[in-house]
Amino acid sequence: MLFIKNIILKYEQWGIPVAAYLVKRILSLIPVLFVVTIVIFMIMHLTPGDPASSILGLEASQEEIDALNEQLGLNRPILEQYISWVGGLLRGDLGDSIFMRQPVGQAIAEHIGPTLSLAILAQLIAVILAIPFGMLAAYKRGKLTDYSLMALSLVGMAVPSFLLGMLLMLLIGVELRWLPIAGYKPLSSGLWEHLKFLILPGLSLGTIQAALITRMTRAAMLETMSHNYIKTARSKGLNEFRVMLGHVFRNSLMPVLTVLGQSFGTLVTGAVVVESIFNIPGLGQLIINSIERRDYAVIQGVVLIITIIYVGINLVVDLLYGAVDPRVRLGRR
Amino acid sequence: MKKRTLWFLGVMLSLALIVTACGGNSNGQSNSSGNSKTGGNESSGEAAAEYRDTINIAVTAQPPTLDSAMTVSQVALNTALYIFEQLYTLNADYEPVPMLAESVDISDDGLTYTFRLRQGVKFHNGKEMTAEDVVASMNRWLVTSSRAKSLLSGSNFEEVDPYTVKLTLQQPASDVLILMATRANFPAIMPKEIIEAAGPEGVTEYIGTGPYKFEEWKQDQYIHLVRYEDYQPVDSAPSGFSGRKEAPTEHIYFHFVTDHSTRIAGAKTGLYDIVADIPIENYDELAAEPGIKLETFAGGTLTAFLNTADGVFANNVKLRHAVLAALNNDEIMLASFAKPELYTLDPGYMNLNQTQWATDAGAEYYNQANVEKAKQLLSEAGYNGEEITLLTTKDYNEMYTATLVIQEQLRQIGMNVKVDNYDFPTFLETKNDRSKWDLFVASTGYQLTPPQLLAVTPDWAGLNDQKVKDSLVAIRSASSSEEAAKVWEELQGYLYEIGSSTVIGHYNSLVAVSTKIEGYEQFEAPVAWNAKIRK
Repeated sequence: MLFIKNIILKYEQWGIPVAAYLVKRILSLIPVLFVVTIVIFMIMHLTPGDPASSILGLEASQEEIDALNEQLGLNRPILEQYISWVGGLLRGDLGDSIFMRQPVGQAIAEHIGPTLSLAILAQLIAVILAIPFGMLAAYKRGKLTDYSLMALSLVGMAVPSFLLGMLLMLLIGVELRWLPIAGYKPLSSGLWEHLKFLILPGLSLGTIQAALITRMTRAAMLETMSHNYIKTARSKGLNEFRVMLGHVFRNSLMPVLTVLGQSFGTLVTGAVVVESIFNIPGLGQLIINSIERRDYAVIQGVVLIITIIYVGINLVVDLLYGAVDPRVRLGRR
Repeated sequence: MKKRTLWFLGVMLSLALIVTACGGNSNGQSNSSGNSKTGGNESSGEAAAEYRDTINIAVTAQPPTLDSAMTVSQVALNTALYIFEQLYTLNADYEPVPMLAESVDISDDGLTYTFRLRQGVKFHNGKEMTAEDVVASMNRWLVTSSRAKSLLSGSNFEEVDPYTVKLTLQQPASDVLILMATRANFPAIMPKEIIEAAGPEGVTEYIGTGPYKFEEWKQDQYIHLVRYEDYQPVDSAPSGFSGRKEAPTEHIYFHFVTDHSTRIAGAKTGLYDIVADIPIENYDELAAEPGIKLETFAGGTLTAFLNTADGVFANNVKLRHAVLAALNNDEIMLASFAKPELYTLDPGYMNLNQTQWATDAGAEYYNQANVEKAKQLLSEAGYNGEEITLLTTKDYNEMYTATLVIQEQLRQIGMNVKVDNYDFPTFLETKNDRSKWDLFVASTGYQLTPPQLLAVTPDWAGLNDQKVKDSLVAIRSASSSEEAAKVWEELQGYLYEIGSSTVIGHYNSLVAVSTKIEGYEQFEAPVAWNAKIRK
């Protein structure tokens, strides 16, 4: 809270009403979301296969499938279905899940918690690994430490998260038996209970992001270190630690922040495979299961929410630029 | 500079506060839940010293519903079996035996079935089960279950007195009790109020008479069942789905674990005690694991269906015979199921363990692997390199693998074959359009009577043959089971003669079970209501 207030205060100091900026950004979202609704709706409804046969199973007769389609309103003209869906959206109603027999909003609310927990943990792991490594690599540029860290990060980026996930599951879950191999417990059953199911998937997701952020941090810091004011800081007699942290790192934050935002967006929206390997009932799991069940309303709802989250994260990152670097003035051309 | 440092510190501090606040909160909760658990163990008495209070079962997918009359989904039915019971159910020999009924009187003309109900059976909501509940449940089943609708149309249940119900049929049928006891679409007895409140999508509350009651359904995670303390077991030895149910373990969880490797790792680490649908390729890996016992059970048949309604095969029996002559079933089954002990080659469409229906009629058309004969039939059939489309789905590995082997075998006799592979829902939809395929392979669970077979269902693969229809009527109205068996033997031979489909082979399914489990039985589904697990 304090943090957000700080940012707003800062903008107000420069005479930019943040509220106006926010409104502008949010308004510009409307066409984006409109296109998203059309695309996702069309993709879903033009894909062959229908929810009725998924619900009724292999041995259902055509007559039963038709009856269920009729009941679910899926035999109406596609335009009519689209209009009624968008109409619902405007009233804040995402529709009802055909398969789970509950409102889509509720289904998303139930599934977003695990995804957020996992994303936050993975991001923490990524940041805790990446920032010090990146700084170290930049500081020791051209030395063995630098080369080995960069080689390691290359490997980290190259190994897909699901493969890393399975390896971790085999090593730590099956061989050593330190952590459960799969499953999920909500935070309400205890922090450790909650975390112990998330550590392995968090590691497998976080490592890749860490590799990416390490490289970005190193590159950004090297760029900053070539500036004259760093030489000045050093010649002032500041100790190396303060130079690196206070001058180099702070001024390298911009690109790092961009990558952080993107990586968080990816973590929230892209943990599909890792979630299904570790059986975590998050958004990724929800969307995969819903595609298999042809549960149109849920798929549409989740994609829409993911779009909003992604755009939202970008907005937050843009706002943070201004806080980190006063030269960035948002809303002014 | 200082300002910035302060700002940075502020952020870190607030983050730290949030983390510690959450931590503190949940620590408190975890303590209290820990306490309540130990308390539960103490109160459950002597069993707690040795046995766990929870059985964890891993299943492949989340069921669409637990309303058994509405679904043929195996996961749904296997879970519903713990909550609901039927008037009649199957024993280990696939015979219908009474569960909620006490006995049945069948009139001499075979048109009236009078069921005596057991007294003192209570639903999970405390209400006693009486005739009105049974009548409501059974009459709903007659109109919702696809099987009941097509095989018992025009029938009706009515109340005679609070503990007697009467079923009236339009025409005599030899398979009424079997249909009522079959797992697919099974008629669960529920309270009348629940049935009346049910919408077209099914009941909204799961209240049955079974040994376990429904506790919680966490979407995409698990279904949690808890022992029903007022359960009234019948006084006979457990067998199949029938007999005594004691529920020695308080909790049963059905976890939905879609990923194969996760299910297997879960079996190895003891996260799950019973793991359904183990993929064949993991047989050796799990067989070598000391804490795991692999149970095999008759799973069903892998069957190839030829399109007799449209396309190249329609109206060309010779061409269909060429396909039958070309197939090397051993090769197909080995490719699909990896180990000879996991499959059996037999032309029978029915479960080989069900002696009433087992017959090898049509054996001369089965597993011929005769390339020369196939080539000759092909030229006799006037085949000119028309493209043959095999329809399949990778979602069912065995179906996909079998299709690829068949493609190769048909190529060897000179057919021009392509494979169309879709995800499962698309596969189903494409299958219903007869112009888009010529042959597909499906693995299907066993049916208890021939009229329920997909191979004779016109909707399934487009088979529309008067002789088949007449034979089915004859089977159902047969006066004795011997007579019915005789008609079926002829019909099975006829199915091969017209080359509308062929059994490829019979496969076994695998279930991994912890060696610490006692009282577990593997029937058509995992039967764990008498099971307990050593600590």
